Amino acid sequence: MNAARDLPKVVAGLAIVALALLPTAGLPAFYDSFVYLVFFWVSLSTSWALLSGFAGYFSLGHAAFFGVGMYTTATLTTKAGVPFLLTIPAAAALSALLGVGVGAVVFRLRRLRGELFALLTLAVTFVIGTIILNTPIDGGGGVFMSAVPLPHLMPTPTGTIYILGFAICVLTLVTAWWVAHSRLGMGLFAIHDDEDVAEAKGVPTFRYKLLAFALSAGIAGAVGGIHAMYVGFLTVAGTFELTVPLYVVLMSVLGGSRHWLGPAVGATAITTLLYAFISGGEAMIGRAIVGLILIVAILWLPDGVIPAIQHWAKKRRPQPAKAQAEVVPVVPATVRPIGERHILEVRAVTKRFGGLQALAGVDLDVREGEIFGLVGPNGSGKTTLINVISGHYPLSSGTVAVDGVSIGSLAAHEIARRGVARTYQIPRPFANMSVLDNVALAATFGGPVRAQREIRDEARHWIGFTGLGSKEEALPAELNLHERKFLELARALAAKPKLLLLDEVLSGLNPAEIDNAIRLVRAIRGQGATIVFVEHLMRAVVELSDRIAVLNEGKLFALGAPRDVMRDPRVVSIYLGKAYAA
Amino acid sequence: MMDRTSAWPRRRVLAGMVGATAVLGAPAIVRAAPSGTPVKVGGTLSLTGFLAQTAVIHKIASEIMVEEINGRNGFLGRPVEYVLLDDQSKPDVARSLYEKLITVDKVDLIQGPYATAPILAAMGVAQRYGKVIIQSSMGIPKLQTYDRAFPATPFGPEPDKTYPNVILDMMAAMPTPPKTIVVLTSKFPSAQFMAQGMRDQAEKRGVKVLLYLEYESGNRDFGAIAARVKETNPDFLWVGSLGLESNQVLESLRKLDYTPKNSFHLYPAPGPLALSPDGDKVLCSTFLEPDEPFMSRPGMKKLASEFKEKATKANLPYSTIDAQACGMISEWQILEIAVNAAGSLDDEKIAAWLKKNRVTTVYGSLRFDGPFNHGDAAQLVKQVQNKEWKVVWPTEFAAPGVKLIAS
Amino acid sequence: MPSATLLGQALISGVLAGGMYGLLALGLSLSWGLLRLVNLSHFALAFLAAYLTYELGTTYHVAPWWSAAMVVPAMFLIGLAQHWLFDRFKVNELASLLITFSFAVILEVAIQLYWTADYRRFETPYSTLSIKAGPFYIPVLELTLCLVAGVLAWGTWQWLRKTYVGKALRASAEDADIAAAYGVDYRKLAYLISGMGAAYAGIAGTFIALIATLAPAQIWTWLGVVFAVVIIGRLGNPLGALAAGMLVGASESIAMAVLSPAWAPVVSFSMLIAILLWDPEWL
Repeated sequence: MNAARDLPKVVAGLAIVALALLPTAGLPAFYDSFVYLVFFWVSLSTSWALLSGFAGYFSLGHAAFFGVGMYTTATLTTKAGVPFLLTIPAAAALSALLGVGVGAVVFRLRRLRGELFALLTLAVTFVIGTIILNTPIDGGGGVFMSAVPLPHLMPTPTGTIYILGFAICVLTLVTAWWVAHSRLGMGLFAIHDDEDVAEAKGVPTFRYKLLAFALSAGIAGAVGGIHAMYVGFLTVAGTFELTVPLYVVLMSVLGGSRHWLGPAVGATAITTLLYAFISGGEAMIGRAIVGLILIVAILWLPDGVIPAIQHWAKKRRPQPAKAQAEVVPVVPATVRPIGERHILEVRAVTKRFGGLQALAGVDLDVREGEIFGLVGPNGSGKTTLINVISGHYPLSSGTVAVDGVSIGSLAAHEIARRGVARTYQIPRPFANMSVLDNVALAATFGGPVRAQREIRDEARHWIGFTGLGSKEEALPAELNLHERKFLELARALAAKPKLLLLDEVLSGLNPAEIDNAIRLVRAIRGQGATIVFVEHLMRAVVELSDRIAVLNEGKLFALGAPRDVMRDPRVVSIYLGKAYAA
Repeated sequence: MMDRTSAWPRRRVLAGMVGATAVLGAPAIVRAAPSGTPVKVGGTLSLTGFLAQTAVIHKIASEIMVEEINGRNGFLGRPVEYVLLDDQSKPDVARSLYEKLITVDKVDLIQGPYATAPILAAMGVAQRYGKVIIQSSMGIPKLQTYDRAFPATPFGPEPDKTYPNVILDMMAAMPTPPKTIVVLTSKFPSAQFMAQGMRDQAEKRGVKVLLYLEYESGNRDFGAIAARVKETNPDFLWVGSLGLESNQVLESLRKLDYTPKNSFHLYPAPGPLALSPDGDKVLCSTFLEPDEPFMSRPGMKKLASEFKEKATKANLPYSTIDAQACGMISEWQILEIAVNAAGSLDDEKIAAWLKKNRVTTVYGSLRFDGPFNHGDAAQLVKQVQNKEWKVVWPTEFAAPGVKLIAS
Repeated sequence: MPSATLLGQALISGVLAGGMYGLLALGLSLSWGLLRLVNLSHFALAFLAAYLTYELGTTYHVAPWWSAAMVVPAMFLIGLAQHWLFDRFKVNELASLLITFSFAVILEVAIQLYWTADYRRFETPYSTLSIKAGPFYIPVLELTLCLVAGVLAWGTWQWLRKTYVGKALRASAEDADIAAAYGVDYRKLAYLISGMGAAYAGIAGTFIALIATLAPAQIWTWLGVVFAVVIIGRLGNPLGALAAGMLVGASESIAMAVLSPAWAPVVSFSMLIAILLWDPEWL
């Protein structure tokens, strides 16, 4: 059992040692050189995927970071006489710094995602390339590095470059593996699927994106530093061109850019293909054949090689017959009394969108352990209030305190960490994560720090609690609306919230499903959470709530016990029109 | 795939040889044909990618030369086999392929690729294995720091000083010598290098530099630059151009209804410029043209006609042999003479022989004993006259009856 | 300080040069914005059209507009064929990059095999014609290009807007079910848009043949700037693409008139970065 599990590690270890010793095997230098180029593309495309594949921030600017690395090494070795090896960390640091600088500005602007991010990184490439071209860093004449001494790490100079390329490649893959299996990676994958939700679930999105950008750019910089020595003569036109970003994208897409090993597979395949047809007579036809192979490959494996293999493996693995987990309803063991302590205090909260006053000074107190209903006509500010409390929108003025601590100025993920969880009216699961991963993410970032094993067990518990036990491995797209709503709840519960904000969990469900959901909400309160819920369905509101608040035109309109409030003629009038009330 | 690469060229060369024999007819076999194991000569050209238009010409030139050499005595009596690989216009690929040629294909000799960056990449490999490398297109001689690297093209060691003076001499000889100049250049290393030299030398000789402009290599729109040139209205326009840039500059000027009084172009694509309506009377750098006195150089007439034939067959739109094609021819001539004279395939002996002796190629008599293994500079000036390039300066290289036409 | 004439001339030339960026961006913007397919082979199709125009013009002496009348429908058909592949295999955005890149490489090889890597120039009397307006010169060919691009962009924009086709397509790029609610046959429309994109590449190609000297590798030279233009103009917005093209062209050209020309990209792209950071909504 153990031996079988360790086999891949042993094989990987042996492969690493064998590859490290390749230059001493006395093979023709070409093989060192060729394999170096494979390492080069593997490192570059993997580093690209750290930000662009994992977090979905599609960059067309990888040439900028790679190029800054190349020119750092070239400048330091030729103009300042710094030993080559020392320049590589410098190249990495400078590129990482550039990445962080760009990121620190760009990531603050929510709009700069998708193609706008691609555009911005492309523009950065053009700008940096032009600056280097027109300043003494290059000046237009190119930088010739033949006089730079190469250390003797291996018997041959090509072997030395090889071993450096190999080292950076291993380092890159280890980094990618580590990221993919860490909190960071989990957070990045969530950012890829839905950044706002990730933030609301407690992922420090800004910091994670910066970190990913720094790693991505830093590795590209180090790779550039080594490659400067390999090429020996640098020109701006040959460095800051579109080939690098284009190829890293293609390689990552071919291999599967969301998997830590995907870009490496794609890079190896494409680099090898490009060398398959180098002879003078067949160069042209060869290029066309490479093109055809790539077309066929991606049509056949549209999500990339690694995801296709994973999919195939998953299909082959017999599904363990799972014992049906706890089924809804789980009746609470004890109904806790509603405390006198205020868990949520909202004071004079306003929220303005341009000229629109969505919240015009709301005051609310929610007691520990109660189910608090929030109702009101469309546009009355209910969902806005949820968004403000959860930190999705910053306050215009006023204060919000949870457990006596003001949270009005905190980022959404920090509010989430203080025990506030929310659901969305239209479920927003992370589309590329399984049900289990969706819930585990919320448990990881919402709750206290604990081991992944523990988190998984907890996640399974909540999946069972919401009746999704048989769907652990399913992707959200395979769920129906009812199940997706319950997944929302499972995610919120996994964060062990003190305060749970539910935004129209019942809308779109059929009567039987609604009964189920109502029982579930009760069960949640039984676990010790305080619940604020926005709902249109009056039956449910009256049945569930301890107290309800009515919002109208951004103001608190009425507050009290459900039946009292619903009988208030003023409340009836805003719902059904004045004539009816009169 | 790896072993097929060497099989291909062999088949190609054999086919070429059979073809050549057929053309010459049966009696041609009378000459002692080279025999024994072939001498492998390896090289890369940018058969695909953005430099592909240059490789097409060099490939034809190489094929002609391999046929010719094998039609004579080969290398040391052995036939020559040309192992050609495609560097995809990328220096990093060029580097790895030269390593392949030397360490896997085990070629006996190597031949340089085209353009500064691939040449420098190949030169590094050559240096590590002590191989002689002959190249024809590196415009910055001081970068040729390896002592077994030899230029097949007579740039001279300091073309940024010598060649501008050739041009300035020509300007001084015009009926009304230009007093002002605009220097416009691509920020491509070899072009910028010459442009800076031109600016400095012009100032030294009292020609006023009204404007010195550098544009990005690959610049797309020359409208604004043309407007600046027109506004400055110099007596002489010097353009450090590559490829199509000259055509673009001249077309942009024409759109402003402006024709420069005199214009010089550094490394333009010669065919499109000669045939362009804007190309009339423009001046350009060269080393030779298929004209007198060059056609009287040994073997030149045959080379020119063979080139024409092959280029036409390959469907090339500009099929006349030019200085660029002759660069590759010169490379092969130097290698042939040096190998046979040194009596060895040993790179050390070949290099030593080259440093001590002169070699006569299509470019004339070359020597390699100066700085950076360069000898005498022999860059000339040609001019488009009736859609054809004619060498016009220095006058002793102009064909009978051909004169510089100045405005 | 540069003279007003110089600045005016630079502006004219920049706007007109930007017309070409815009024209190339049109088709790309449609398929990217409305079908979520990033068609890297757009440039290769444009060059194929340019080579065909060259061939028809030089070998058979066909006037460019007659060539266009043959080449553009052919391109439309190629667009349909391409889309059949996308449709048949349900190609997603990322996979479309790889497929169309490969398709571009194959086209590049095909062009190089038939027309060789050497330069091809279609000499016509139009290439350097200019109209004189006061102190300024307006090149006729580029002006025609801009007018054609303007008509195409405006027409396409109107079509997308007036017929709700644009909205339906944008919706279906997000969710095909919602599109069905518009009562639009998304699949047929997608074929039409793909065909139109390729046809626009064909029109751009006709102008490339008239304006530029051709070489196979030039397929790739426009990629960066046209990508930027497509995004600045907002994906799927034809008028935006054209305006963005002219903006980039003009800013580069003015920079070249005032500064050292080699600094021009810094000016235009720094401006772009500044705008993006200042107010991305502006785009």
